[in-house]
Amino acid sequence: MAEIEYVRPVNLKDALNFLWNHGEDTKIIAGGTDVMIDVRSGALDKKYLLDISRMDELKGIELNDQGLCVGAGVTLSEIYSSDLLESNALALKKTAYNFAGKQIRNMATIGGNVANSSPCGDTLPALSVHRAKALVADKKSTRLVPVEEMATHAYISSLSPKQIIIKFILTPYQDGFADFQKIGRRRELAVSRISMAVFAKKDKEGRIAFLKFALGACTPVPHNMELMEKFLTGKTPTRELIWEAGGLLAQKMIEITGRRSSTIYKEPAIQGLFMRMLYPVVK
Amino acid sequence: MVNIKFKINGQKKALNIHDDMTALAVIRSLLKLTGTKEGCGIGECGACTINVDGKAVNSCLMLGAQLDGTTVVTVEGLAAKDGLAPVQKAFIENHGVQCGFCTPGILMSVNALLQEIPDPGHEEISKTLAGNLCRCTGYSQIFTSVKEAARLAGQGDQHG
Ligand SMILES: Cc1cc2nc3c(=O)[nH]c(=O)nc-3n(C[C@H](O)[C@H](O)[C@H](O)COP(=O)(O)OP(=O)(O)OC[C@H]3O[C@@H](n4cnc5c(N)ncnc54)[C@H](O)[C@@H]3O)c2cc1C
Ligand code: FES
Ligand code: FES
Repeated sequence: MAEIEYVRPVNLKDALNFLWNHGEDTKIIAGGTDVMIDVRSGALDKKYLLDISRMDELKGIELNDQGLCVGAGVTLSEIYSSDLLESNALALKKTAYNFAGKQIRNMATIGGNVANSSPCGDTLPALSVHRAKALVADKKSTRLVPVEEMATHAYISSLSPKQIIIKFILTPYQDGFADFQKIGRRRELAVSRISMAVFAKKDKEGRIAFLKFALGACTPVPHNMELMEKFLTGKTPTRELIWEAGGLLAQKMIEITGRRSSTIYKEPAIQGLFMRMLYPVVK
Repeated sequence: MVNIKFKINGQKKALNIHDDMTALAVIRSLLKLTGTKEGCGIGECGACTINVDGKAVNSCLMLGAQLDGTTVVTVEGLAAKDGLAPVQKAFIENHGVQCGFCTPGILMSVNALLQEIPDPGHEEISKTLAGNLCRCTGYSQIFTSVKEAARLAGQGDQHG
């Protein structure tokens, strides 16, 4: 195999131009924490490595009239230290807290996490909770894609080889309870087996007034579970209610994936993790 | 081949490297700075940790070409002419080193931490070390060493 050629366009326009002509032969590299594994093992069968890690167009976190915009090139460390995300997308910020080790967080980008289309991409549940859309561009057009549609199957991205994710546009939610939880082999480094994120708000009477919930990792693509929203909204969260909701969630997971050998472990684990995550809202 | 220019441990370098080389290979094989270790090669052990523009990163997962234009510090760059850096002294005195294989990586993680947070608490130290595996010490002495390093650095035992 011929040696891989490294290219670093100076701006997004040049990068999109390059991909328009050579997309099929090109692998985009941002933080490299997924791509470098393949570069090192020789599994990468592309001619070009296109470095987008320094592109200003992909950086920055801001709240504007489009919504809460998070650049595809924003690193997990930047997410972790963002005050804007603390007050407008706490579940995403909490995701960064248990994402790999610090060295990885310093390089890994949110765009790379989503584009890699791993079912265990940790940023997906929180993005889904915030009804995030990815702004995706090629040389000739841009479009907004809901994050749940960024992967068609596990590890199969819906991006064309000519496209780059520019940013994610989230619906901001303030002043509520938010969390991200995952189960993996070891908290920091393992890939998640089960992951979930939530945002919830209670009214003055202590009932759940607003809830968004998403499940990741144990299904091939992330799911925003409107069923949980319907089941819990308007109710007073008690231990029993949350437990029941967790059971419902586990059933839904089985509906999506079918019964597998791992179901016997995942079914109670999902219910338990849901209970643990939502316990703080029990009055 | 790609041309890269960067600064490492205070020295300017201009190199012509293979496009698919890792930063770790550039540092160890081309520059012969073998203090930085290769453990797992896949981002899990932290033995290859270096500081790039002040941030701790795994050099095994960084593309060498991405070093272009950066400022790098490896373990060889910690000590000043007049002696070891506070973090190095603290690790020696508090038995933070046993076999030593993890040590260069840990020192570089801690170096970046202390630049960001001069007086880190237990949680911050723990979050920092989560990406550095040590099979020998059991970490307790490492925590003590980091706290001592922060104290020494705070006392003005500064280094270049
Ligand atoms: C030790 C270790 C621990 C890890 N822990 C976790 C963890 O806890 N949770 C987790 O979710 N992941 C984890 N990962 C996986 C990885 O770090 C993440 O998926 C990371 O977010 C990838 O981002 P990156 O910038 O490094 O992507 P890269 O490796 O640069 O790219 C990943 C993929 O996305 C494509 N791509 C990148 N940016 C764009 C863009 N803007 N537009 C279009 N395509 C793009 C690339 O072509 C490639 O296919 C871990 C990895 C390692 C090595
Ligand atoms: S050698 Fe780089 S993390 Fe193990
Ligand atoms: S001292 Fe031996 S691995 Fe840490």
